[in-house]
Amino acid sequence: MTGIREFFAPPLVIMDRFTESVRTTRLKLLIREASRTMESMRTIRQCSIVTRLLGVLVGTSLMGCASVVTVEAEFPQPLIEKIPVRVGVLFDDALRNYEYYEEIPQQATWTIYLGNANELMLDGLFETMFLETALVESITLTSTDLFRLDGVLHPALEKFEFEVPIGGNDEFVEVWMQYKLRLFEPGGELVTEWPVSGYGKAELGNKEDALNRATVTAMREVGATISTRFLEQPGVEYWIQERQNEAALSAEAPFVN
Amino acid sequence: MRLRCPQKLRSLIDVVQTQKLTLTLVAVGVLSGCGVTARMEPYKQTNSVINDGEQVVVLARKHHATHEAEAGFIECISDGLSDGRDGLDVHSSTEFEDKLYPWFEPSLAPLSTDDLTELLEKPGVLDQVEETGVRFVVWLDGSTERTASGGGITCAAGVGGAGCMGLAWWEDDARYDATVWDLHELTSAGTIYADFVGRSVMPAIVIPIPLIARPQAKACRGLTDQLFDFLTSPYGYGAGPDPELG
Repeated sequence: MTGIREFFAPPLVIMDRFTESVRTTRLKLLIREASRTMESMRTIRQCSIVTRLLGVLVGTSLMGCASVVTVEAEFPQPLIEKIPVRVGVLFDDALRNYEYYEEIPQQATWTIYLGNANELMLDGLFETMFLETALVESITLTSTDLFRLDGVLHPALEKFEFEVPIGGNDEFVEVWMQYKLRLFEPGGELVTEWPVSGYGKAELGNKEDALNRATVTAMREVGATISTRFLEQPGVEYWIQERQNEAALSAEAPFVN
Repeated sequence: MRLRCPQKLRSLIDVVQTQKLTLTLVAVGVLSGCGVTARMEPYKQTNSVINDGEQVVVLARKHHATHEAEAGFIECISDGLSDGRDGLDVHSSTEFEDKLYPWFEPSLAPLSTDDLTELLEKPGVLDQVEETGVRFVVWLDGSTERTASGGGITCAAGVGGAGCMGLAWWEDDARYDATVWDLHELTSAGTIYADFVGRSVMPAIVIPIPLIARPQAKACRGLTDQLFDFLTSPYGYGAGPDPELG
């Protein structure tokens, strides 16, 4: 037996060595594979971190480029004489929820909410301008309102434009806006239609603040024009005269029970 | 050999002195390029002065499309006039415009004393003005603008460090007109014209050294001093404080 072993010894050793080398190679391959997998996992993890960071950066830059302005201000009461009529005021949803959106290519997107400011400015203005005001739901008055109101005012914001400088020598944010004021008889017939525009500018500091200030200035201008020029509009003087004559007649008429 | 060393030393001293002289000349040149030149022309045509209990309001002329006196400048003048123990009673500009809304909005604000007379005849306006206690309205017109600029600075960075080299300069012109209206007399009490030109320089030798002139701040100080004298001294109060030269 010993002789046979000795005879076969060299090939056995070779076989053993071969088997061992195969094992070692497999092990090496496995280790390499594992390290590759780990490497790729690490790369994937790094990539995901970079992607997340990029996402955050892109998100932040996009947030920085999307400006949202809700126009806020207190509007003073105009120092004027009251017009001796009672009017219904119709603020429709378009005016109450006015929202302006503009995408300026390669710059920013702007969303400007003007609804509250519209209502605040016009409500205070009409309250001071007229003897009495009441909010109404439609141009045609209800039977109750027909007796107590002389007409209906329907304001609408038709145009809004703005410019925010991005460089150069421009130092002002500018706003231009145009309202349309319609006056109706209590029965719904149009008395007059009047486009009123306002312009405002504000020094550029914080862009959103400057836009707010410029818008408020433009709205104040609109208020100033409405409160001082309303009586000059065609048809308005005659309408007021008619309403006053009617009031005088009804006051003179004998009381019938 | 003995003679050579003192000669070398002398030549070295000469080189150092020449460098110092050159540097001094450059510094003087740069510094003299930076500064503010002022011109003020006050003109008072009445002898009215502000009395106890009377106020002054500073308003910006806003009807120009191209320029408008800066809100910060109006604030600076208002604060300057009310500053100190002898400070005047200054009414807030915003409050005044709000109380008299809409008559002092850009499109309706009076441009002349005739317009003012007409405005005060409107119902309720005179009462409101009297309620504010304002006697003098100071209308500020003008602005500060960059009129010129030039030069250039180049910066570079490397492994060994970073540095800049060059010279940049710019010129700002603060030009304002202050017109004073007397609401009691319904007249224009006079005007003060101020023009402050400031030249700023920024030399860069490795690091940029900004030498900035502030003509607007100087115009505010100069105009405030003049307005104070204008409102407190009677007719012929003189040229007021000397225009600053800095």
